[in-house]
Amino acid sequence: MAEPRLIFVTGKGGVGKTTVAAALGQQSADLGRRTLIVETAADGRLENLFPNRRRAGARHHLGAKLDSIRLDPRELVEDYFSGLLRFSFLSKRLFASNTFNTLTAAAPGITEFLLLDKILGWVEVRGAARRNRYDLVIVDGPASGHALKLLRTPRNLAAMVRSGPLGTTATQLLGLFSDPARTSVVVVSLPEEMSVRETVETYATLEDDLGLHVTRPVVNRVFPKRFSRSDLERVAADPAIHDSPVAVAAHFAAKCRREAERHVGYLRRHLGVTPLLLRQLFRPEITVADLRPFGRSLSRLLLSS
Amino acid sequence: MLTIGKLLDKSLVICVGAGGVGKTTTAASLALGAAIRKRRAAVITVDPARRLKDALGLDDLTIEPRRVQVNGANFDALALDVKRTFDGVIRRFAPMPAVADRILANRLYQELSNELAGSAEYMAMEKLHEMAETRHYDLIVVDTPPSSHVQDLLAAPNRLTSLLASSAVSLLQAPSTLLSLTDSRLGKLTLSALLKGLQRWTGLDLLRDLSDFAAAFEGMTEGFSTRAAEVDDLLRSPETAFVLVTTLEPHTIDTTIRFHAQLAEGGFRVAGIIANRVVAFPEVGEVQASVEESLRSKLMANYSDLRELSRRDQRALRLLHRQTGCPLLAAVPVNSEGPTSLAALEGFAKQLL
Repeated sequence: MAEPRLIFVTGKGGVGKTTVAAALGQQSADLGRRTLIVETAADGRLENLFPNRRRAGARHHLGAKLDSIRLDPRELVEDYFSGLLRFSFLSKRLFASNTFNTLTAAAPGITEFLLLDKILGWVEVRGAARRNRYDLVIVDGPASGHALKLLRTPRNLAAMVRSGPLGTTATQLLGLFSDPARTSVVVVSLPEEMSVRETVETYATLEDDLGLHVTRPVVNRVFPKRFSRSDLERVAADPAIHDSPVAVAAHFAAKCRREAERHVGYLRRHLGVTPLLLRQLFRPEITVADLRPFGRSLSRLLLSS
Repeated sequence: MLTIGKLLDKSLVICVGAGGVGKTTTAASLALGAAIRKRRAAVITVDPARRLKDALGLDDLTIEPRRVQVNGANFDALALDVKRTFDGVIRRFAPMPAVADRILANRLYQELSNELAGSAEYMAMEKLHEMAETRHYDLIVVDTPPSSHVQDLLAAPNRLTSLLASSAVSLLQAPSTLLSLTDSRLGKLTLSALLKGLQRWTGLDLLRDLSDFAAAFEGMTEGFSTRAAEVDDLLRSPETAFVLVTTLEPHTIDTTIRFHAQLAEGGFRVAGIIANRVVAFPEVGEVQASVEESLRSKLMANYSDLRELSRRDQRALRLLHRQTGCPLLAAVPVNSEGPTSLAALEGFAKQLL
């Protein structure tokens, strides 16, 4: 029986991390693997994709073999310090204090560690209660900057703390992260300049600095190829339509496609791998039905990189 | 306030919005727009994209405003490098260079100036204050950092001063000050548990670093507080307007609505919304064409898809208006590339006006 896996989905805000995480999750559940999607952001994008989800304690049941849970960093920190302080009336005053908030902001790693500690609980099988055992845990987000901070945490922690429960957890996390058969990172971009540049930088950090396994990059909302150059020439040559909005739209579509190809090419050249493309959808909103074809495309990510 | 023209009559315009919406371009274009109308204008940008920086003639060494010329219209532009500006503030407020050195070398300061939520926003406000006091512009346009917390912008000066106010000098004398507790023994116990907890994570001896940091700041806190109050007054003046810059992706719209709520809650004037990269194709009837049927149907299918995107954008604009009550100052149609040259910037400015 394969060991449980962990996938981090990252990328700038708004690139479609939640869509990718949800599609990967649905695909995995369809293949019979018990899957958990961990949400790290406060917004409810996943809720929009699975409007019929049912509450199940702290988690949501999205469908057969597919659950989700939202981890609130603030709650994790408060729980931790409440444990430390032992007097709840003190905790309340503390958490409201500006100074506390500034100090914890200056103490990097707490929220990240607590997040990872929780995730470890779902991925490590030994001693875990049945309801906590998942075959695949997908972490949706956070955005690239915070994600790098999160993924750097085991290494930083292991350097500072070598023994005790903290040290043990740090070592476990390091082991988990450095095993490409168990942990992968998926970076999502849009076919836009700033997005692909950031993706290339993120790759360098993830692979070279942090030694993590990164899959082929995913590029979301890629305009489909529609009009060839000769198509556009014939449109321009037709006096009935060449000035019309329909012609403008065709040129616009061709331009969007050219730009998308240019940015995908940038990724290919700088990363040496072929990005996986998810096409632009022309619907009012994405629904669960859209996830399955995306999921099938995305499943190729984990087979080769 | 319903038009860009009226907006440009203000003394201070602050562009707020999520990252990647074209804030910097919009801010620079507004300054150019004012310049075209013969007003003396300046734009303060924060970490602008390389291309725009190049187009404006700003490089990494520029710490003072630089004159930009576009077809006879002039305005000043400045790009802030957050970290350097923060260090600069410390140097300006420190009673002696040695004090500044000590602070800049302090580990807690280094962590804080990177981590302190709002430091970039605070720096933009700092620079704004300086420019408003010392130079004579009819209009200053401020581009804010691509963060996701408008409250950092507004609260930053106060957050910094309240940290300094509960400084470790008073901490050492009466540790309970940190938690505003009356029983100092209980306070000591709590504090040491807290600091032990924090120390595990950071390897920092926070008590020592904090006391060092705060001791160094002693005597500067008043300056910070006064400044914070002055910036607050400036932001609330009737001559100041906030503009929400946005694109129409769901993620971005959520952020914009949230920003608006925070600004409204704080009692700040929001003049309106500028929406960038809007897809706007009109309804068309049956199209007669002489191209062959297969191409004609491809054209119509494509148009139908782009109409879907146009409708989606219209819905998004209506949602924004409903949720914020703000007028739409401009809806700038999508163009695949951002402005990379002054000519393109001029084009953008003309579309705004």
